[in-house]
Amino acid sequence: MHVEIDHVLCVGYGVCVQSAPEVFAINDDGESAVTRPDVDGELESVTRLAEVSCPMQAVRIS
Amino acid sequence: MTTAKASPAAPEAEFDLFSGEVLLDPFPYYRELRDLGPVVYLTRYDLYGLFRYDQVRGALSDWETFSSAQGVALNPIANAAWQNSILCMDPPKHRTIRKVFDDALRPKYIRQVAGDLEQQAEALVDELMERGEFDGVQDFAQRLPVNVVMDLVGFPRDEGRDKILGWAINSFNFGGPPGERQTASLPIAQAQLEYLLTNARPENLLPDSFGQIVYAAADRGEISSEEAVTMMLGYANAGLDTTINAVGSVLWLLATNPDQWQAICQDPKLIPSAFLEGIRMESPAQFFSRVTTRDVEIGETTIPAGSRVLHSYGSANRDERHYPEPDRFDVRRNPVDTVAFDWGVHTCPGRTLASMEGHALLGALARRASTIQPAGEPTRIVNSITRGWHTLPLRIS
Repeated sequence: MHVEIDHVLCVGYGVCVQSAPEVFAINDDGESAVTRPDVDGELESVTRLAEVSCPMQAVRIS
Repeated sequence: MTTAKASPAAPEAEFDLFSGEVLLDPFPYYRELRDLGPVVYLTRYDLYGLFRYDQVRGALSDWETFSSAQGVALNPIANAAWQNSILCMDPPKHRTIRKVFDDALRPKYIRQVAGDLEQQAEALVDELMERGEFDGVQDFAQRLPVNVVMDLVGFPRDEGRDKILGWAINSFNFGGPPGERQTASLPIAQAQLEYLLTNARPENLLPDSFGQIVYAAADRGEISSEEAVTMMLGYANAGLDTTINAVGSVLWLLATNPDQWQAICQDPKLIPSAFLEGIRMESPAQFFSRVTTRDVEIGETTIPAGSRVLHSYGSANRDERHYPEPDRFDVRRNPVDTVAFDWGVHTCPGRTLASMEGHALLGALARRASTIQPAGEPTRIVNSITRGWHTLPLRIS
């Protein structure tokens, strides 16, 4: 799966980082960012959790 | 004339959800209400109620159907008083005001405060280690959030802060259902508003604070000056007792679950998960409400348009349909999808700040103390909306 963050919606709460620290991180500007844009195998379920748990629905999976 | 099949009414519950007895331990009652159905009707308060996780999150996500514009409190007086509050608006108007909050509370700015929070937390814990016995609320939970939030809002560092703190918890009773507690809250809510209108003037507030930002927005005509004061009130009232109660509750859960305390001492990376788990179990804000803008079907029941619907964060967060063994405090659970911070457009803008405060305090404690135990019976705050400890005797070594 391919992962992106919609930066218009993203406020930087970091719920994605807390859900899937292997895939997301807080960048130097203090905003949420994708560190691993292509995810497969074991990381898929925590990535889906991040998508579902983002209060702003800013995580995009394709 | 058509004879449409009448939709079954929602299952009814007659007991008083807001009695002192129930508020002390609402969880068995929440379970009963969840088991009655996906939506219930509280006869005593003429309110529909959502107590299951799926329905609560669904309602919070669907602001068009479950509107905040007619207020989210459980009585008409508070809803009139809070009309200018960000809590009681829908998009698009909500977005304009929300932007002011988000810009001021943007996690990236709050994260810059992180280093200082950790220092403050260390100093506090050092002090408490000397004492050994202390109150988890008065001496710990109340200290950091109060200073941090008051500084961020911009209230002058004077005796007004104690007054504002004292009034803040009242706002939750003010927003509760009609009854003695709500009636008693009216003069206090009034006193707080009057105090702020007089004393929280731009010339008194700390520079570069949220208060200055909202007054500047009022000067530019983006918001009215009443909206500015309401926003400051909203920030303070929403940001104080919630965080204090969150920290107090997590502390209590750790003190009464020593294996979980050991787990975070051995692996402090579990602290963010532990903090979330604490607020899942003991959600500082237990209830708010919405009003339906159309007929909406939940299960077999159709809630008519224009109905006020209570939603329980506290019950949703303990729903066995969503969280296995929901009454078990498990610091590894990491419940990132908790509704304790609300959801969607009304997500708590202070989520990052509260979390950072919690992490700093727990981190300092876990680094310094090897044991934490209750040192007496705690006493509970009895409040219609917020849940937390009033006193929490503890011993650390």
